[in-house]
Amino acid sequence: MDHSMLPKIHSLKFEQMSFQYEGAQVPLFDHVDFDFPMGKFVWVKAASGSGRSTLLQLLAGLQMPTSGKYLINDQDVTEMTFEEFLPYRLAMGYGFDFGGLIHNGTLHENLMLPLMYHKMLSFNEAKARVDRYMNQMNISRYENQRPSLVQGGVRKIVCMLRALILHPQVVLLDDPSVGLGQEMILRYFDIIHSLRNQGLLQHVFISSFDEKMMSLLDHTEIWLDTGKLFNTAVSDEKKVVSL
Amino acid sequence: MSFFLEQVDSLGRVVTKNIEYTLRVLLMVYLSIRAAIVDQAQGMRTIFGVVSAQIYFTGWQAMPLISVLAIAAGGVVILQSSSNLTLLGGTEMIGNLLVVIIVRELGPLLTALVVIARSGTAVASEVGNMRANREIEALESLGINPLSFIVFPRIIGGVISVVCLSLYFILIALLGGFVVTKLLHDMPFNFYVDSLTRAVAAEDLGLFLLKNSFSGMIIFVVSCYQGLSVKRSPTEVPIVTTQAVVKSIIYVIVFNLSVTTLFYLNQLVKLGVL
Repeated sequence: MDHSMLPKIHSLKFEQMSFQYEGAQVPLFDHVDFDFPMGKFVWVKAASGSGRSTLLQLLAGLQMPTSGKYLINDQDVTEMTFEEFLPYRLAMGYGFDFGGLIHNGTLHENLMLPLMYHKMLSFNEAKARVDRYMNQMNISRYENQRPSLVQGGVRKIVCMLRALILHPQVVLLDDPSVGLGQEMILRYFDIIHSLRNQGLLQHVFISSFDEKMMSLLDHTEIWLDTGKLFNTAVSDEKKVVSL
Repeated sequence: MSFFLEQVDSLGRVVTKNIEYTLRVLLMVYLSIRAAIVDQAQGMRTIFGVVSAQIYFTGWQAMPLISVLAIAAGGVVILQSSSNLTLLGGTEMIGNLLVVIIVRELGPLLTALVVIARSGTAVASEVGNMRANREIEALESLGINPLSFIVFPRIIGGVISVVCLSLYFILIALLGGFVVTKLLHDMPFNFYVDSLTRAVAAEDLGLFLLKNSFSGMIIFVVSCYQGLSVKRSPTEVPIVTTQAVVKSIIYVIVFNLSVTTLFYLNQLVKLGVL
């Protein structure tokens, strides 16, 4: 599949979207109507356990709303099959907060997998891209190691790199700075800035408690509170976003 | 009366639960085949890589265990049947007896049990761990359908392995069993081979393929299904692995028994008994 065949993502919306985990007493999201800001770094802010990770998973199509609609370019994702959603999925990258690497492959193979599987690039081009990013993150010496044999920080950065490897238009990063040193974070965001400058990556959604990292980015904020999303902070009395 | 109704209720619940489980498993088979056909990205090379690895682990690596089991089963069956048939004066019937016991029944069943013990557990725990480590979620996020990438090649590899292993079991049981018997009884090899070739019918091939291919499918589908049923926690992995073993054994035995029953009913119809 070629990059030019992927649709341009220009809007992400929830319409009366509710989500509840199986066996949970209350819904995590309750009839949410929200039009996500696009073309920016968007910082998803919420208290711990409010559903920040679930929100990113919903945006990535890894969870489906229990009811209501999730619209990409005004097309309802909840009615799409895996194959119909695939072009959108390939235009999105998702960085896991923990886990997510394929354990029976090396770190290099983990990064090569999406490129080779979807035949986005030739083998040599894919290898050159993977090598370049691994070099940039200074983790090339681990390329032939399996995930369980390297330290957590390396696993985390490979997982975050994999979110960028297809050069997506949208990237969703769940707690990207956890387990990473400042230098690694800066290098990672250098790649993100470079992709944005090339016009490849356009929309970045970050869920994080790391104010220091976020202060380095020119970002906009959205708030998640009691199952609803807001463009502005909720009332001071409630102090829902005491980050 | 209320006790009786409670028992009927309980039985009804068990039956309904099992029917629902069977339908879910069948749905997964359909979806994985559909996904493999629809998935444009997944080339034959990707499928072939996983299928060949599955055949290596399930088929090739099980051969020593199957050899020992086949020689033991073949030896015991041949020893017992030849000594009893000699007493009854029907030594020439040894071929028929071996075809009925080893080719039609023991081969498919013992092979399936070995595969469940070795590979069913491995697949259930591997897929379960992939679920717990969020690897399945990661594949989805990369646009790779786990049903076509994980489940489909394992089913294909499993079916090929079980068919080949069962054939290997039968050959070793018949040949190895004869060698073991030869040490104790004097039985000419030509007589033995002649008796076997007279006993094997064309329908045995159909029965062999039906039993083994479906047993292979049952084992790997149930194991993948159980593995994928893990929600988040690694503590669920041993639980689903045990369930995969238990359910696979039950399904394989019920299937083999049903096929055998239908086969013999058909034989009786052909003979005009029914």
